[in-house]
Amino acid sequence: MAQATLQNRSARRSPIEMIVDRIWRFFCSVRAAIYEIAFLAVLVLLGTLRGSDAPQWLGNAIPFTQPAVDWLYGWDVFHSLPLMLILALLCVAIVVCTINRVPGIWKTISNPVVRTTRGFLESSELSASYSMPHQPDTAAQGIQSTLGKNRYRVLHEPHGSDIHVFADKNRLAKLGTFPFHLALILMLIGGIVGARYGFRENSFVVPEGSVRDVGHNTGLSVELVQFSDSWREDGTPVEYRSDLVLYKNGEVVDEDSITVNNPMTHGAVTIYQSSYGQTARLLITDNQDRVLFDDSVPLGLYTSTANPDAPAGVQMLPQVNAQINVIAPDEDRANAPELDTLNLQGGQMFVQVRDTVDPTSEPVSAVVEQGESVALGDINVQFVREERFTLLQVASNPGIPIFWAASFLLVAGLATTFYFPHRRVRGIISRDGDQAGVTLAPLARWDWSGQRDFRRIIEQLERDLGVKATVVERPKETGHPMAEPDQAGA
Amino acid sequence: METLVKLSFFCFAAASIALAGSLVSYILYTVGRVKVRQASLQTSAGTTVTASSAEFTPGWSSAGKFGSMLAWFGVVLMGMSVLFRTIAAERGPYSNMYEFSLAFVFVLMLVYLLFERFYEVRQLGAIVMAIAMAMALYIWSLPAYMREVDALNPALQNGPLMTVHVSSAILAYATFAVSFAAAILFLIQIRRNISWLPSADMLDDIGYRAVTIGFPMLALVLILGSIWAHQAWGAYWSWDPKETAALFTWLVYGVYLHTRSLRGWRGQRSAIVLLIGFGAVIFTYYGNYFFGGMHAYGGVN
Repeated sequence: MAQATLQNRSARRSPIEMIVDRIWRFFCSVRAAIYEIAFLAVLVLLGTLRGSDAPQWLGNAIPFTQPAVDWLYGWDVFHSLPLMLILALLCVAIVVCTINRVPGIWKTISNPVVRTTRGFLESSELSASYSMPHQPDTAAQGIQSTLGKNRYRVLHEPHGSDIHVFADKNRLAKLGTFPFHLALILMLIGGIVGARYGFRENSFVVPEGSVRDVGHNTGLSVELVQFSDSWREDGTPVEYRSDLVLYKNGEVVDEDSITVNNPMTHGAVTIYQSSYGQTARLLITDNQDRVLFDDSVPLGLYTSTANPDAPAGVQMLPQVNAQINVIAPDEDRANAPELDTLNLQGGQMFVQVRDTVDPTSEPVSAVVEQGESVALGDINVQFVREERFTLLQVASNPGIPIFWAASFLLVAGLATTFYFPHRRVRGIISRDGDQAGVTLAPLARWDWSGQRDFRRIIEQLERDLGVKATVVERPKETGHPMAEPDQAGA
Repeated sequence: METLVKLSFFCFAAASIALAGSLVSYILYTVGRVKVRQASLQTSAGTTVTASSAEFTPGWSSAGKFGSMLAWFGVVLMGMSVLFRTIAAERGPYSNMYEFSLAFVFVLMLVYLLFERFYEVRQLGAIVMAIAMAMALYIWSLPAYMREVDALNPALQNGPLMTVHVSSAILAYATFAVSFAAAILFLIQIRRNISWLPSADMLDDIGYRAVTIGFPMLALVLILGSIWAHQAWGAYWSWDPKETAALFTWLVYGVYLHTRSLRGWRGQRSAIVLLIGFGAVIFTYYGNYFFGGMHAYGGVN
């Protein structure tokens, strides 16, 4: 009859239900999770190696691997489709697995099964038995007292003349897995929110005495009042400091002095000290003395194509369809001196004007001394003086609060799960004439620490109740009735 | 300051000697002894037949105790070395590979000895002290200039974060080294069932317990590193090679934790994952030698 019922049930399930059930089981599968995490780890490893010379060592040692090495260096792993897909897959697996586990875990916490079987107690890896010259009720109270002192929750359930016992501690810690896994999803969400709605300027240059707009609809502008740096006798830097004034829509909203590790924050925007460099202050006019450019050109963000030790800068002049290139003196004359064809001295700049409409036209160049002017075609270039610029990073990341919340949940979840393990003990108290016979066993298969905790409990029971327990250890068996399933949540 | 730097180095030198002695003692204790038995038999033909057999027996228990004693000496000396270095530098000893390795050897030995006391077994010492000895030899191989106390460059000038971030990393790596040792002995034990080695159950538990300390610690390393990166560079995650190498290590141990709940994976396969995990730790630890990026502070790039 039962078999016919089973057949009828499976006949009622539609193909869609079976597919959904298969997919659900896949996402709940611990085995699948292992493979997914391992695949993610492999991608992260490949991306890490890509940031090193290690693959090229392999290519040099085994030449036929060079095409694979070249492919690896050319593959942006951390922004690739496989990485996005595996992260998405893991997110879905976490959600499905969590939904699947909640009922089981909640039942374990709130309403566990108290009743056990003698078969479990007799085949458990570890069990303890003792007798007491009391009624089973009194024996149960003794267990309640001792285990209660060790923070166990003790539940009793009479079955016939026996009393079944279930005791556990740290049951709420089983919930720790949920904030931990939720945190992983929140971190991804935080990253997506930050990338979608935030911005980051890595090379925000502000020359001394100049104001630069942050942009990104912030209305903010940054003025560098002064840049200062300090150095030790051995040439190592002590500090880079930028004295800044922050404007919003033209009004001063903040002033601060920032260093590395001490940024300035205004609202959702933070300004970080990154580096610094030289600038060439130029005054550029046309033949009618109209000012085309009166500001600093940062040097060092470019270098001369002929000499990599010569810092250079570029400034566009859209009013006259021109681009002006500025090259400063060589900073390391000892290195490849043959490349220093300009041979600029201190206080000199090489300036060159190119036509942006006709790039094939011959550029006009000259060397100009500080404080002097030079005519280049239809424009005049005055090299006013050298100044400095500060290189800042400006960022706004609305995903940050999500990330910090996720970090807290992650650490709290891990600590709760690992440092408050769920310990469980089952037992049966039976009447044996005038005696009460007690048999207890832990749910601690392959759990050395759990078994050790159980032994300590038994020792304490012996002291508290004045009994002598017989502890039995049994060899492990395969196909144990409490065998763990291949899916989380059971 | 120079006196303190020298004192620190001398304490390290003395600790190295204690460490070497401890390693030898632990090996003698763990590997055991070979007893050769010989029996002679006079035959009726007047010849003598001799047979011999070899038998493995547990090592001298005194060797184990001696190993522990020397290890504790080593820990105290290493602790003094780290302390003198800290006082000399007026900050935690974390700014280059010399300082970091010094601190790591100290924490590794201390963590192992705490596990030894908790579980009351000594055999893992043969492997953990070998790792500590290898690390000490690495310290000896570093150029002498790295023993000088250098001031921190501006990017590292965040005392609280650097202390907690790097300390967490050292503690995580040390516990993973203990789990590595447990995994090796576990794999030996399930094949050979050697009577004087800890049971496979206990070794499995040691490996798991070590990872339950190291895994949250490494998560903390990643989070604190993100906080620091956000404060210094404006982005909490930049896919920097050192960051991703630590993430890779964390994921490997995440795989390990999942294998322990799966029948058929728990046991031998879990132990193999622990071996891979420690390989990832070494990869991350020495990443400064071949990673570029923003973590190139080790003094070796």
